[in-house]
Amino acid sequence: MSELAPVVITGVGTALPGVTGTADLVTGPDLPAEPVDPAAVLGKRGLKYKDRATQLGLCVAFDGLKDAGLRDDEGPQAEGARIGVVVASNYGNVDTVCRVTTTIANETSRGTSPMDSPNASSNIIASEIAIRYKLGGPNLTVCNGDASGLDALRWAATMLNAGRADQFLVIGVEPDNEMVRKLVGADRIVDGAVAVVLEREETAQERGARIRARIDGFARTGTVEAGVRRLRTLGDDTPGGWYLPETAGGSEIPADLLAGVPRHGMPDAWGALSGVLGVLQCAVAAGRFDAGEQSPVYATAGRDGDGIAGAVLCAPRGTP
Amino acid sequence: MSWPIVGIGALASIGRDPEEIFESLCGGHSGLAPLRGFDKEKFKAGHLFEIDNRAEPGVDTPGRATEFLLDAVGQAARDAGLGEDLSEVPVLIGTGLREMRSLELWWRDGADFAADQLHFGPALRERFGAADTHTFSNACSASLYALALAFDQLQSGSVEHVIVAGADSITESMFGLTDAFQLEPPGRLRPFDVDRKGTILGEGAGAIVLGRTPGDRKVYGRVRSVGMNCDAHHTTAPDQSGVATAIRQAHTRAGVKPADVDLVMLHGTGTPLNDEVEVRAMREVFGEHENVPLVTAIKSMTGHTAGSAGVLSLITALLAMSGGRIPPVTELDEPTENISAMRLVHTTPVRADVGVAQINGFGFGGLNAVAIVEAAR
Repeated sequence: MSELAPVVITGVGTALPGVTGTADLVTGPDLPAEPVDPAAVLGKRGLKYKDRATQLGLCVAFDGLKDAGLRDDEGPQAEGARIGVVVASNYGNVDTVCRVTTTIANETSRGTSPMDSPNASSNIIASEIAIRYKLGGPNLTVCNGDASGLDALRWAATMLNAGRADQFLVIGVEPDNEMVRKLVGADRIVDGAVAVVLEREETAQERGARIRARIDGFARTGTVEAGVRRLRTLGDDTPGGWYLPETAGGSEIPADLLAGVPRHGMPDAWGALSGVLGVLQCAVAAGRFDAGEQSPVYATAGRDGDGIAGAVLCAPRGTP
Repeated sequence: MSWPIVGIGALASIGRDPEEIFESLCGGHSGLAPLRGFDKEKFKAGHLFEIDNRAEPGVDTPGRATEFLLDAVGQAARDAGLGEDLSEVPVLIGTGLREMRSLELWWRDGADFAADQLHFGPALRERFGAADTHTFSNACSASLYALALAFDQLQSGSVEHVIVAGADSITESMFGLTDAFQLEPPGRLRPFDVDRKGTILGEGAGAIVLGRTPGDRKVYGRVRSVGMNCDAHHTTAPDQSGVATAIRQAHTRAGVKPADVDLVMLHGTGTPLNDEVEVRAMREVFGEHENVPLVTAIKSMTGHTAGSAGVLSLITALLAMSGGRIPPVTELDEPTENISAMRLVHTTPVRADVGVAQINGFGFGGLNAVAIVEAAR
């Protein structure tokens, strides 16, 4: 993937418990906190019958587009036909699928509600975001396990390089409910969403967008060690920090791997992050660069028994 | 820029490999059969296009979509001479429903299932050593979306091969919600018939191997372009202008004009609105050349195989190009007025020389993807 021209982050959006803005991502969330209330951000209109993941996605999409200067409170500031959407989510519609299955077992198909019909499709979050904000570019839903967030960023970068859109709104979102907790075996799920807006560096410069971070390259490997080796060939080989996968698939990450580089996990109090993680890592890095940090960081997500995604995140060029 | 297809694999209710499926399509054989894995008492409809591979009749087992995928990918990789080691080959999978059927069996019956089996990565890792694997849940255009991403990845210059696949088994929730919504079961899946009553779900998987270079292998065709966009219009209703935009985008990217297209594999779900919007968009784009391409569709015999539908249509187009035979739309008594303006192949196959084919795939939420392939000559 090293052949991709660099892409930059020009917007960050959050709909996370204990977070009111990007700065909170650097200092750490104020937890425990009340669940995110999408109606408080968007108003109630258009949220009825939408599942929790879709509501969180709509909420964070608004925040991300606004932050990137692609829309303001009055409406769009850019041509929606040239903006695409990539959503990373593993558990978005698990609740609907489980609930409908129970209904059919107890009441036959006649007991099901037509309101559940759209939510049975896993791409509902991305397509509803496109409809609400009139984003006509490619619309992709990545359901690829723990690496989904970084994979979503990689495919957005690939499509930007192919000229398929001017910007991509990349979102990671996972809802919290009893079905997902049972499936994942976790006490809580993040019940939140993160967005970043990605575009080619030249596009951002042409429209005068504020560049928050640059992604210098992506890796996809079978193990964390191989991933780190690949990242070292793509960018600065001694990063200032390393964002770790949520779980390494049971295997410990060797202590001498990137020895001396500070390792960062996300706060346990958020619970399982899954598809949110990779996008969150980018958002946190952007927050740190906003605050003046200069050293690049490595982001990694995924599991050894599946695949590890990695990215090199850098401060914008020419930052004083 | 175009990329050669050097391996294919597929299975569906009407065949366990591409040749068998293609012969069934040309022979007008339908895979529609009484329910095999679902409780007949729970649904109005009594028939689906299932793949008949369950060990015990009437008893459903988890992991079937994954089995279909591994089968199709294995066929395609063998065909392309890649063998069983895909550790250096990206595998891009388009699916509508992932392993949601297994999730249902886990939730309802306590079947053995884990969170990371919802997507196909771990199974591809175990069987083929593949680590660069991507499950895209993009409804009924998913495998053509995956094809577009594979195309872009080859163009970026970093890989020798990419495998593009689609796989879906039927979930109880999707079947049940469709069943409740349809006032009466459609009985037959009848694309472009004035009396079409809706779609019927099917199961299937398909895979193709795209290479940077053909080597000394058989080339089934070359992918010239894939257009993709989103209607951004309505949750369930398709939008003519969005569909037309995707078709035009595919033509522009491939550098072809409507008059150059010899065959179009229509999406053709048998749903009243979808079929009508698709044909109107086709007529809008093809204009005075609407009578140039032959048009056909496979779902009257395969059912609506969701995320795998696009790649199954693509493989059908490849075999039609190499053999000069176009399979027909079946179950058609009275074509709609709009489709009658085009050269629909129906009831019996026709012979034709196809140089350029277009494959349509449209999904829930307004996800459109359209591919252009050319014959290997």
